[in-house]
Amino acid sequence: MEKCLGIISGANIENNFGALCVHRPVYMLPFAGRYRLIDFSLSNMVNYGIRTVAVYTGEKVRSTMDHVEDGKAWDLNRRFNGLFLFPPVSHGLSAKRTGEIPQYYTTKDFFEQTKEKYVFINHPNILAKVNLTEAFRFFRESDADITFIYKKQQDPFGEYVNTNKMNIGDDGMVLNIGTNLGTEREFNMYLKMGFLKKEVFMKLVKEAIERGESDNLLETILMNKHKYKINSYEFKGHVENIRNLKSFYDANLNLLKKNIARELFYSNGTIFTKTKDEPSTLYTEDSIVQNSLVANGCVIEGTVENSIIFRGVKIKKGAIVKNSIIMQKSEIHENAAVINSIMDKQGIVGEDVRIAGSMLMPFIVEKKQEIRKD
Amino acid sequence: MIESKVVAMLLAGGQGSRLKTLTKKIAKPAVPFGGKYRIIDFALSNAANSGIDDIGILTQYKPYLLNSHIGIGSSWDYDRNMGGLRILPPFTSEDGGRWYTGTANAVYENIDFLDEMNPEYVLILSGDHIYKMDYSQLLVAHKEKGADVSIAVMEVPWEDASRFGIVNVNQENKIVEFEEKPDNPKNNMASMGIYMFNWKELREYLIKDDENPDSDNDFGKNVLPMMLEEGKKMYAWVFDGYWKDVGTVKSYWEANMDLLDPLNTLDLYDKNWRIYTRTRNLPPQYLARGSAVKNALVNEGCYIRGTLRNSILFSDVIIEEEAEVIDSVVHSDCVIEKGAKVYRAVISEGMNVKAGEVIGQKDSEKIYLVSEEGISVE
Repeated sequence: MEKCLGIISGANIENNFGALCVHRPVYMLPFAGRYRLIDFSLSNMVNYGIRTVAVYTGEKVRSTMDHVEDGKAWDLNRRFNGLFLFPPVSHGLSAKRTGEIPQYYTTKDFFEQTKEKYVFINHPNILAKVNLTEAFRFFRESDADITFIYKKQQDPFGEYVNTNKMNIGDDGMVLNIGTNLGTEREFNMYLKMGFLKKEVFMKLVKEAIERGESDNLLETILMNKHKYKINSYEFKGHVENIRNLKSFYDANLNLLKKNIARELFYSNGTIFTKTKDEPSTLYTEDSIVQNSLVANGCVIEGTVENSIIFRGVKIKKGAIVKNSIIMQKSEIHENAAVINSIMDKQGIVGEDVRIAGSMLMPFIVEKKQEIRKD
Repeated sequence: MIESKVVAMLLAGGQGSRLKTLTKKIAKPAVPFGGKYRIIDFALSNAANSGIDDIGILTQYKPYLLNSHIGIGSSWDYDRNMGGLRILPPFTSEDGGRWYTGTANAVYENIDFLDEMNPEYVLILSGDHIYKMDYSQLLVAHKEKGADVSIAVMEVPWEDASRFGIVNVNQENKIVEFEEKPDNPKNNMASMGIYMFNWKELREYLIKDDENPDSDNDFGKNVLPMMLEEGKKMYAWVFDGYWKDVGTVKSYWEANMDLLDPLNTLDLYDKNWRIYTRTRNLPPQYLARGSAVKNALVNEGCYIRGTLRNSILFSDVIIEEEAEVIDSVVHSDCVIEKGAKVYRAVISEGMNVKAGEVIGQKDSEKIYLVSEEGISVE
């Protein structure tokens, strides 16, 4: 895998996440009690031996820089190779173009100077612990120019409408990738990840800049699909495709299922994140906690059910938290109730306050928002 | 501490034999404590939080785990270009190899290191104790008094005073006498084993002490009394806070249990004085439906289906259904299998308590230490 560059494409649509993504890109959403979404992508690459990783941060770069730092948590703070953070810049191009392709183009020196011959591109909003060693071997042995990774996704209720649908020929070659309209009970969901030969990648980027038809890499590839050998690799494990508030909420609560938690947290290496040096979590005499994931540094005096509790959260006596995601350092005071809700960092729900959303549309407490009874 | 250079020397070579199998494979400073720490984390974090830039760690007894825990000191921000942390094990020279024979000897053997650092002050610390202290306050007092040596002391209960090195002082807190574990203490001010020396003075007396063949080369027993006798200015600096020397399995268990007391003064949640440690990067803990967790400290990676009361779990501990853990300390990677009962126990790292097995007794005064060697009762 040392022959392969890792690329995290952070460009994404943030308006599906409401108040949660006002200050942060989607891949920086707090997840699973102590992580950010990007941790899964970074850790999986590192666990499979990718030693050079470029992160295209998108514009809301501050939370990324604060979290990723120099890549230390992932052992990417190397003197040779390691982590490269690329915030968006628009120099060197006649027109102001800030899309995906222009961002790759403005870092062409990086691609030219690194000695790796292949690139692995992935989107941090899709969580999947793909065995990259096997996928890479498939890519190399099939001598493809590009290998896209997909999952056969069951979708009886049309929850995956608007995700990427991959059409695959009998020979495993990718015919095209479009938008899923929910017409089938099972479809091939493109996981926005794949391997490319670096020379092919560079050629596609340069041609796209010259032609100016698209700033999107996938579109560019599909426009040129007849020139290259593009095949497909099936991933059979669990996938969380986090594309809106509902899927984000569900993905968190899915971690209360043992097999999903085991796979995402433990299979093929653990997930690394920036450590916070919180002490252990203290449960007091009155605490009742059922079917919940709780991070360190919390003090739990109340009742918690079917919830994800992040680091440093305080839940006071008589408070009830149900089917909710409570992010870092939030406080829920005496006799308050928080049901079907997402509390962003450092929110406060005051004494006797009751908030509730529905499981289809969770109530959002914004970052640092205080809700008190007057 | 910008104005004057302090080098801390942290004594971490102790065996702690009264901790029995807890120190069978590791030195006492490496013994796990408080759900996610090792004992040495307290002194190291204190030093880092006090703004001490240079620290030497004197290791000797079974240092492997300690070395790998400390690494290059990055958990405490001691991985620096200028200054930072050095591990100082015993070494061989032209005259052959020598072990550190006492606390003073350990520092004596590293005179070259200290000469190279050339500090104004040397702070001697022990890696055996659990407390939070701002050493910069000790330095301020040391300078104000114009002392040659300042010793951190604390009041201990009178009935315990004969177990400590007792310091007798005059009204200005100037030390007039040392008594090592006196039968009839005149005072209940105990030395905490934390000394701030002027380096020039210390250097001179370390050499003197080494030349004395009858000396045990110990700070408390030899070097400090000699300095006092020769008229050096020594002051006591009174510390008022939580401090524990976990000498025995029982006091180890008690010190852990102290953390469950909501009024305990060792506030681990204080963000202004964090205790840092090397972390394992594990997922959050999971409490299943049917679990009952009351009055407990639980660390990352734990998976609880059974009952947990008045207890402390380290990381990655599994408590299966119908199992019961009460009044106990369970180290990392243990499994308490279905229906097993654990009362008043300290369970060592990686142990499996088999299904249905019962360890300890609910209404007992005793503490049960479980390790590969079996169960020992104290």
